Amino acid sequence: MANVQVQTMTSRERVLAGLRRDPVDRTPVCNPTSVATVELMDLVDAHFPEANRDPRMMARLAATGYTELGFDSIMPVFSIIQESSALGCKMQWEQKDNWPTVRMREPIWRDVDDIRIPNDFLTHPDTACVIEAIKLLKMEFGDEVAIIGKTMGPWTLGYHCFGVEPFLLMSLDDPGKTKLALERMKEATIQFGVAQIEAGADALTLPDHATGDLVSGEYYDRYLKDMHAEFVDLIPAPLILHICGRTVDRMNSIAETGMAAFHFDSKNKPQESMDIIRDRISLIGNINNPETLYAKEPEAVREEVCANLEAGVHMIGPECAIPLQTSIENLLAIPRAVRDWHAGHADN
Amino acid sequence: MAELTDIVNETIRREIEEYIERPDEVERNVGLFARTRPLMQEISAALIEGDDGTVDRLTKRALDENIDALEIMDDGLIAGMGIVGIKFRDNFIYVPEVLACARAMKAGMTYIEPILSASGVKPLATVVMGTVKGDLHDIGKNLCIMMLRGSGFSVVDLGVDTSDDEFIDAVEEHKAPILGMSALLTTTMPNMGRTIEAFIDADLREDVKIMVGGAPVTQEFADDMGADAYGKDALDCVAVAKGFVSVQA
Repeated sequence: MANVQVQTMTSRERVLAGLRRDPVDRTPVCNPTSVATVELMDLVDAHFPEANRDPRMMARLAATGYTELGFDSIMPVFSIIQESSALGCKMQWEQKDNWPTVRMREPIWRDVDDIRIPNDFLTHPDTACVIEAIKLLKMEFGDEVAIIGKTMGPWTLGYHCFGVEPFLLMSLDDPGKTKLALERMKEATIQFGVAQIEAGADALTLPDHATGDLVSGEYYDRYLKDMHAEFVDLIPAPLILHICGRTVDRMNSIAETGMAAFHFDSKNKPQESMDIIRDRISLIGNINNPETLYAKEPEAVREEVCANLEAGVHMIGPECAIPLQTSIENLLAIPRAVRDWHAGHADN
Repeated sequence: MAELTDIVNETIRREIEEYIERPDEVERNVGLFARTRPLMQEISAALIEGDDGTVDRLTKRALDENIDALEIMDDGLIAGMGIVGIKFRDNFIYVPEVLACARAMKAGMTYIEPILSASGVKPLATVVMGTVKGDLHDIGKNLCIMMLRGSGFSVVDLGVDTSDDEFIDAVEEHKAPILGMSALLTTTMPNMGRTIEAFIDADLREDVKIMVGGAPVTQEFADDMGADAYGKDALDCVAVAKGFVSVQA
């Protein structure tokens, strides 16, 4: 909650306080997911796909979230493929204007016994790139801005490594085998997460796509809630859970995991979401990407920012990795709207 | 007018009572199942429960009893998928359950398809489906394909990362009156517009109805791209396709 008595904070202090739900000088503007755009790539000459694979380019492009856009955080992991690449998945790296993607139609695992975290998991070029980029960012920015790393959860790794349909069918046909698969895959989540913290990350985004667009809330309780609570104990940094899509039906369970924050999608109303989590977890979000940030004008962005602020959402940011063609103008509208809202509510 | 109690199969009666809320859908399904024979209702019930083994066994039995393949498809398999589609749309079931039901449908269609092909029975229409260029996501597209096939359409699945030429070639080769494009990424959505332009340039635009869908896609976007329709989910995709061929949804 913004408190006019709180003296001016650095961006890093602001984000860390937001993750603890401590008083802040103003609501942090935070990106647990990527704010890289084609315009920003051109600005700093760090383009996809190379910026996903070269630590200096990765750091340079990620830093623009703070230096150009005015966000309080820097998050250098633009896509969701690093761990899967290091596990052996086949990748499609694409071009400057598209995301690298895992070829999920060519899965690397068929059965639980196939699961293997290779010895060189953290020294694979794609995981090592992230670790190095975080070190570079920490060296450059010190304690000025929050550096947020990212480590994929085991449910998402299941999609990547087994294929979405085989993994979901396994979850129905054989819950025991699915739980064992998640147990084995979680080692990748923990290893990569800890490595990023040791490199200097202040917090970690943990995407684990058990979304209401695919699976029930009961699935979250059955397969992930306890494991996410375990991550809180095993990974020594504030964790930001990210799940796309409809998640209102599982927010109560998410709030019970002990995670620091939940990064939520625009399919969930801010006030309804705040009413469910009841201050047990910070909420970050939830500016709509495809309809608002990508397709509309700054005024529409401002409206959504204000709706979140009015609801008391703890930190404001896009709902997910933003479309690469999003205009800088629309992204600048987010911190601008937050500042203006606080200026207008200074007496409250 | 048919009543719920006219339906012999207890599972079907329960499915309609518990999961179908819209009065028009209740009326249609009660009317449908009240007139289908008990063995067809058993097939539907097994499909709804995702029991591919039972669907396999009962489909074989129905054929052995000289029940017409088209009746088995329409009154057993498609009728069952109709209830699955409603339950999915209304969030009573989710993707894992739909996948299991689709697997059960496929088990039955393994016997039915060759018979219908050999006898020249035509599907409702042929639909070409694909995820656009640069996009490797296909779960949404696949759900639409399952529902389309489950509703009597023949579907040519082009997979993912589909180029303009591949869409055009498939529509021409299969003489498909309907094309469906899916995108999950905002970065690849514009390729829908490019593909539609390619159909215009190839002088084929008037020959095909184009529907688009995918998580970031909206009605407004579909209109801007020049698509004929937007399907917001798998069941909507079927309704759109049926609308294109003027069949009651």
